[in-house]
Amino acid sequence: MTFNWLNFRNYRLRTKLIVTYVLLTVIPMSLLGYIAYSQYTKSIEEQVGEYIPKLLEQANENIANQVSEISHLPDLLYNSSQVVGVLRKDAHQNRSSLLQDEFTINSYLSRTYINGGNPDILGVFVVSKNRVYESVKVPYRNFDLSNYSIPYGQNIELQGTEGMYILPKQTTLQFDGNPPFILLMKQLTDLENRTNLGTILIAVEVTFLKDVITKLTDKGEANLWLMDQHGHIIYHTDKNLIGTIDDDFINYPIQKGSFRTTTEKSNKLISIHSIEETGWTLVHSIEAKNLTERTDLVRNATIIAFLGFVVVSTVISILLAWNVSSPLNRLIKLMKRVEQGNFNVDLSIETKDEVGMLANSFNSMVMEIKDLIRDKYQIELKQKEAELYALQSQINPHFMYNTLETIAMAVEDDEKETVVQMVTLLGRMLRFSISNRETLVSISEELMQTVDYLTIQKIRFEDKIDFVVHEEIDARKYYTPKFILQPIVENAVKYGYVYGRITTIEITISIIENPDTRVEEVVFLIKDNGPGIKEEVLDNIQVLLESDPMGKRDSSFGLINVHARITMSFGNGFGLRVSSFPGQGTEVEIRIPALDAGNEGENNELEKN
Amino acid sequence: MRICFSLFCFILFVSGCSSQDPDNEKFEVVYTIEDIEMEEAEKNETQQLTIAIVPKQINIPYFNAVKEGALEAGEDLGVNVIYTGPTFTDASQQILIIKDLIKQHVDVIAISANDPEKLAPILLEAKDKGIKVITWDADTIPEARDFFINMVDPETLGRHLMDILAWNTDEEGEFAILTGPLSAANLNEWLHWIKVQQEEYYPNMKLVDTVAHDDDPHRAYVLAKELLIAHPNLKGIIGNSSEGPPAAAQAVKEAQKEGEVAVVGLSPPNQMNEFLKDGSAQVVTLWSPKKLGYLTVALAKNALNHIEPYDHQEIAGVGKIRVKSDMVIMGEPIDFTKENVDQYDF
Repeated sequence: MTFNWLNFRNYRLRTKLIVTYVLLTVIPMSLLGYIAYSQYTKSIEEQVGEYIPKLLEQANENIANQVSEISHLPDLLYNSSQVVGVLRKDAHQNRSSLLQDEFTINSYLSRTYINGGNPDILGVFVVSKNRVYESVKVPYRNFDLSNYSIPYGQNIELQGTEGMYILPKQTTLQFDGNPPFILLMKQLTDLENRTNLGTILIAVEVTFLKDVITKLTDKGEANLWLMDQHGHIIYHTDKNLIGTIDDDFINYPIQKGSFRTTTEKSNKLISIHSIEETGWTLVHSIEAKNLTERTDLVRNATIIAFLGFVVVSTVISILLAWNVSSPLNRLIKLMKRVEQGNFNVDLSIETKDEVGMLANSFNSMVMEIKDLIRDKYQIELKQKEAELYALQSQINPHFMYNTLETIAMAVEDDEKETVVQMVTLLGRMLRFSISNRETLVSISEELMQTVDYLTIQKIRFEDKIDFVVHEEIDARKYYTPKFILQPIVENAVKYGYVYGRITTIEITISIIENPDTRVEEVVFLIKDNGPGIKEEVLDNIQVLLESDPMGKRDSSFGLINVHARITMSFGNGFGLRVSSFPGQGTEVEIRIPALDAGNEGENNELEKN
Repeated sequence: MRICFSLFCFILFVSGCSSQDPDNEKFEVVYTIEDIEMEEAEKNETQQLTIAIVPKQINIPYFNAVKEGALEAGEDLGVNVIYTGPTFTDASQQILIIKDLIKQHVDVIAISANDPEKLAPILLEAKDKGIKVITWDADTIPEARDFFINMVDPETLGRHLMDILAWNTDEEGEFAILTGPLSAANLNEWLHWIKVQQEEYYPNMKLVDTVAHDDDPHRAYVLAKELLIAHPNLKGIIGNSSEGPPAAAQAVKEAQKEGEVAVVGLSPPNQMNEFLKDGSAQVVTLWSPKKLGYLTVALAKNALNHIEPYDHQEIAGVGKIRVKSDMVIMGEPIDFTKENVDQYDF
């Protein structure tokens, strides 16, 4: 549970909001609905449970009345003194008088019972002193005197004077068409003489029960049955069950009232009423779902309304959650963009709520950051420009000094031509370095500066230094940052010069196409045949080259200076590469993009940025 | 998740409410009809009730038949029946017997009173002791008992006795009445109605004498003989008490006046069987004293169960009864002639 809870905490805010809203609406509503519905059905059950036993009571009383009427049927026999007189006689008479008696009684039975008021009587039998009189409505079979569960006949001594009922299927007696009937067996007592006259058996079809019971089951949903005190079913709405025994009868918790089954698959509401007069129990059993049928409409309507409400509330909750979370999501996206360096963002949210305030704060924060960055950037840029200017305008004072020394010596030697040449060269160099403040110059101008320098050095070292220029492009057409070639050459002279031999500096200017970017690049290659650079120094140089170009700006290395400026202007793909083999000389490659007259302006602009 | 858990708990709780029923797992009672009457009835049945039946006298066939019926009812209804009475019709003896019954704490005393006035105080005393008092056959004054069980409507019976005599004398001539104790209320009432009927319908008939024999068979016989001698033109004798008709028939037979003097009256068929067959008596009428005994016990038991008799009440083993104010009427009288007298045994 804790784990899940933690999990839930990590869910998206939107999910959490939706889940919470839905739970907050769905749970109370479903609980309310459930409780209301169950209470409603329960109260219906209770009402029915209270109502039906009362109906049953009436029906049972009705039945008891009818039964009591039936139980009085035998008394009709007493109305005829002739019949009673015959019954009082014993059987020891001659045949004709016996037959006469039989005629008398049979015709009385027919008159009184079969054609009498009660249409349900199937047959009447009178057993008296080994004589049997009968009158039946429909043919019968299996009237077996000896086959009853209790002994009867002329010696019968029924307890009390009440009759007893032989219930359906308890006797072998059957009538044609097999109608269910109850057999009333009653002792005939000579009321005057207080002796036993015999027994009367009246078979009464259970139609009267049917009439009463069918009234109670108007729709046929309910099962009704009537049973005696032993659970023997006298009448059942399911005809097949008449005569069987209700096994649950002894388990029924009450005799009058209603109860619910709890174990069966479909709950039933059983109402029961037993009446003392007959000892019979009338049972009404209905499935609970039938009772609540009418409430099903209410229930369905409630469920539909509930579902509709759930949908609406879910939609509302989603909208609400969306309202809260979508600005946050936008905020997240914008923050990512800010993180990537794009400060041109605007979280436009009009609302005045917390989200709106957050958006406003965010906007103002981004603006603030943007301003700060711009300020800092511009300061930095200005600083860099200043540095660049400082860097490019550097002419080595040593060189000045040495050149002037050389000029002085030439004056001393009176080499007028040489002096004029050197002063001219030096002057041109100085003018180049100070004349214009443009950062870009044509390669020819840059090359001329370098050549001027080398020429001066060559004069100074009296041809111990030589140089070759391979100009493979139209140097006037392409442009280059100022002062990138001369410092490298100066470096080559400085470190490449070995006393006692001629140092040759070879400058090659070519244009190649970068295989990766398909951009034309101008490559300056400066080779010397000096002693080369020691490996550790070379490594050191490589490290410096790869480090922040702005870092070591005070370095005396012209190499680093040039490299820094190129990378600052054109990016990391450009700059210097130094390769050296001890004893074989050093090779420096300067790589810049090809800047021809066409895109010079553009590049100027780029540089200014 | 926590919400889910609490929801789960709540549902358990809610569903738990309805399923808790430790007493009866299979059924859950929804509604019960209270039933108090049944318990009361059961309570009364558990007690052994004692009902005392006191006849006018014991050892005459009529009251013997009553005893048989009473005992039968006692057996049928599960009550204890004490049958006790004086050896001859005497009110003071009955008083002693009742005193004794009061001491025995019987539940009901049912008495056929020999004297309505004399017996009243002791019966009132019994009532004060919480004993139910009813009368049968012969009544006391109404204050002394709850109700009276009469065999037949006295008017019906009196008029009927007169009628059956008239049928057998062609509605003319002198006749006499042989009655029982003069103090017996029922006999006097019948006597009254006999006279009323005669005056209304039979102007040619004349009541010449009324004699009382106190239900002593021998005295009745003597009185009958004297009547025959005293009134040579006598055409008929009505015996309105059970010992009258046999005595009269015997006297007529001995005087060889069978057919000349008609003998009718109230008497059990067994006693009269012979006389009816040989023609010394013509018709006797009576009710079944057995039935009377049975009914008395049945009504006594009902009274103890607070079921007062009502009109057209069906009494098991007896049939329907009639009730006129506080008098129960058992039924109609039965006529016994030589044709049907064999059917009856009392």
